[in-house]
Amino acid sequence: MPSLLQRPFRLFGSFGLSCTLLLFLGLLTWLGTLEQVHMGLYDVQKKYFESLYLIHWAGPVPIPLPGAYLVMLLLFTNLVVGGVIRMRGKKSRVGILITHFGILFLLLAGFIKLFYSEDGYVRLYPGDRSSTFKSYYRKELVLQQDLGSDGLREFIVPQEMFMDDYRPTTPLTLHSDMLPFDLVVTETMRNSRVQPKGPMFNVDTPVINGAYLKRLDPAKEAEHNLSGAYVSVVAKADGSSQEGILWQRNMAPWVIDVAGQRWAINLREEQYPMPFTIVLDEFRKEDHPGMGLARSFESDVTLIEGSSTRELTILMNEPLRDRGLVVYQSGWGPQDAGPGVPLFSSLAVVRNPADQFPLYACIVIAAGLVLHFSNRLARYVRAEGKAA
Amino acid sequence: MKTLIGFLTSALLATSLASPCWAAPWQAAPADDSEAQHADPPPFRTGPWPQEILELAESLPIQDGGRIKPLSTYAGFTLLRLTGRRRLEIPTGVGEETVQLTPIEWLLDTMFYTYQAADYPVFLVQNSEVIDALGVGIEVSNRRDRYSFNDLLGPQNTGISRLFGLANEYMPIDPDERSVVQKQVMLLAGNVSFYYQVLSSVLGLSIVPPEGRPDEYEEWGTGYDLYDASMQGRLGSERLAQLRDNMLDLDTTEWTPAEFAESFASMHETCVSMATARGEYEKIGMELSYYKADWIWKSLYLFLGAFLVTTALWLRPRNLFFYRTGWVLVVAATAALITAIVYRCLIRDRPPISTLYETIVFVTAFGATVALVIEWINHQRIGLSAAAIIGVVGVFLSNKFEMLDKQDTMPSLVAVLDTNFWLATHVIAINIGYSAGMLAALLGSIYVLAKITGRKRDDPTFFRNLARMSYGVLCFSVIFALVGTILGGIWANDSWGRFWGWDPKENGALLIVISQVAILHGRLGGFLREFGLNIAIAFSGSVIAFSWFGVNLLGIGLHSYGFTDGIHSALWSYYGLQWAICGVGLLCLLREKNAASVGEG
Repeated sequence: MPSLLQRPFRLFGSFGLSCTLLLFLGLLTWLGTLEQVHMGLYDVQKKYFESLYLIHWAGPVPIPLPGAYLVMLLLFTNLVVGGVIRMRGKKSRVGILITHFGILFLLLAGFIKLFYSEDGYVRLYPGDRSSTFKSYYRKELVLQQDLGSDGLREFIVPQEMFMDDYRPTTPLTLHSDMLPFDLVVTETMRNSRVQPKGPMFNVDTPVINGAYLKRLDPAKEAEHNLSGAYVSVVAKADGSSQEGILWQRNMAPWVIDVAGQRWAINLREEQYPMPFTIVLDEFRKEDHPGMGLARSFESDVTLIEGSSTRELTILMNEPLRDRGLVVYQSGWGPQDAGPGVPLFSSLAVVRNPADQFPLYACIVIAAGLVLHFSNRLARYVRAEGKAA
Repeated sequence: MKTLIGFLTSALLATSLASPCWAAPWQAAPADDSEAQHADPPPFRTGPWPQEILELAESLPIQDGGRIKPLSTYAGFTLLRLTGRRRLEIPTGVGEETVQLTPIEWLLDTMFYTYQAADYPVFLVQNSEVIDALGVGIEVSNRRDRYSFNDLLGPQNTGISRLFGLANEYMPIDPDERSVVQKQVMLLAGNVSFYYQVLSSVLGLSIVPPEGRPDEYEEWGTGYDLYDASMQGRLGSERLAQLRDNMLDLDTTEWTPAEFAESFASMHETCVSMATARGEYEKIGMELSYYKADWIWKSLYLFLGAFLVTTALWLRPRNLFFYRTGWVLVVAATAALITAIVYRCLIRDRPPISTLYETIVFVTAFGATVALVIEWINHQRIGLSAAAIIGVVGVFLSNKFEMLDKQDTMPSLVAVLDTNFWLATHVIAINIGYSAGMLAALLGSIYVLAKITGRKRDDPTFFRNLARMSYGVLCFSVIFALVGTILGGIWANDSWGRFWGWDPKENGALLIVISQVAILHGRLGGFLREFGLNIAIAFSGSVIAFSWFGVNLLGIGLHSYGFTDGIHSALWSYYGLQWAICGVGLLCLLREKNAASVGEG
């Protein structure tokens, strides 16, 4: 009879658990695919593939399911216990052992990507430059103090502290000893528009300087959401309060004077620094002749780092890889630009420590599978030969 | 002069969508119109086109869809797009007699016997309500029918202006929110506009290669462009002036057959020599012979023959003549299919697969080849039969797909697909995975069907062999499905900056891998024995079908390159068939288990 220690070991290494987890992963993948008809990819990923558990609604019926993240964690454990530890030493299974190592490596790459990667974009017109890239989905509050000739002092409030994409916000006070005021976030909206308040209608949100934030349904493609927030600044010195609207697409930040200091407050896409400044020298887009279908688009850029500069071209399927950052030619715009209208180049930027892991995993998996199944095929052919 | 009519037509067309007050170029004159009786009768073709004209026309290069192709290819797909057919059947006017026109004959008629061609029923209308909406007084007998330009124009010459008026009205409606009739109106308006703007005159075709290197000037011109250039005094050379004169001469319709032949030959010679000088004519001959040989249709006939012979072989299992004939037919059919694939690779300078259409041809050829290899190893007749079944179904589907898509099957590719490395690795690998997986599902289905029907009940070797085959092919499939899926991720990582984005097509590929790996683990864990294993393998066929076509029907994601409208029914028929086989198989399996446990009891 297995001991108390052996039991969980056997369970976690069992074929029964492998099959169950694979079936759950298949089910989640299938449901997550169908759900994309109604729900954007970002939200589907969060709900089905990056969660520990979820409720799937089959019409009016709620079905509790494990999330793909949990399933993959268990699959990782199952693979380690059953596919590596319990399998070691079996000569006939060397190919499968190698394959399992490759899959473990692939899953590891997925976990690293999930927790340690940053991705976003840079949008540049020819001549523009940038040393940061912006997130597609995440937002941040930025508080900047004007220090006159000494420049700016900046405080960043990450999204987790003031806004949840999936839950309505409750009023929240952000306090810091370094600030002469408390910032109270009274309401946030994942998708919104700033509109003037007319005399003929009422709104259920505060009207500030004749404008209000109109709450919109979240866009199916999460990157199209324009977030907004109602905030108030409460001066620590006298308790006086100023109310304002922050909106992601504002042309300028909300500027206030508190305790003799000038501050600018803004809501924007989260920004990440790059180890270099990228300058777009030229953007080229070629269409197939006689058609509006783009055949290729590429950006000539200059990378500036300190006093050194480097010129190179980024094109589709040939990204720039430099110091852990990968820059891709991902798009262009405006899509409706007529002839002669300058085009901007959209560069996707990713920082992923496991960037090349899938390639290595693929080589290992292919080698393992070929080794295993070619042995099996040889045995089959030999058996058929004998039978004949 | 027809040229002027052409220019006038173009100009009018430009405004037609903006204003319903539009005059049609072809005025159907009433029979008692005395003025019309005095006018010169429009040219009317009374005999067949001379062979030399047809040959010249077929090999005339034209730029269309971003590439240079023979005019015959252009004519073929244009006719398919308008009529939904590869040939045009027109009444001769003598009783019920009809005559068939090839695409190139039809296009020549449309350009040079415009008045005659205006009576050809070339516009396929899927919903008769569209015709009712035009108010042309046609008595509609079929819901789906074909109509001529003159039918649409109507006796009062108002039908087409009404059509464009309606199209103008529906234009602001979101395409996804248009009703079926509104969509049909928009489609018909587009086809009619294209018909008389481009097809009704030789001047409308992009057959004039620019002077200069292809990397400097890529876009070919039309006769109208030549005419414009000459009016502005910027016609490049004598050669272009000659070409302009030839095209204008042809467009006048005031020629004798000899003059026509001379002008046409001269135009052809100029276009071909200019295209050759630019290095853009070298693939024309190859493409012409590809379509003339029609390898894919030939393979269908051969596969059909093989299917009949292998069916006979199951009735007479020891008949060597049937066995050898089956081999010859399947090998010949597969060779024909592979020849078609090689031709397409050479014409496009591409690996075998870059479109959804090509996946069908490749998957069929590869599946038949693997089935033949199995037959070669074990001589069980099962591989031979499976090859014939895969061939018939696959080639039939590829033809059906082409008919529904109505587009050139060698289109220009979007930027992200413009990479021969990934097309040759990921795409090939994943399609080998599809192909072997479908073959495994077929073998699994044969196993289950044999169990259900009780055939070969007394021959356990048959089932054991079949099970080994389906299992072996599944293993083969899983290698390519898994490696192909990861390669796809690596490609995505290089193109879009993420290895895995949970995009529907990626998920489809993952579903194949998961289902196959789950089956293999189920077998290893003892949960799936021989019968259950084959039920599961048969079921995995529907997972592959979902990944291959089903996810494209969702109309979402980065991978929605392929056209899939109209294949719902074929896909659901396949799902239904596989699920029915699996469902009944499962019942049989349970019955067997019950019987075994009762026996043990």
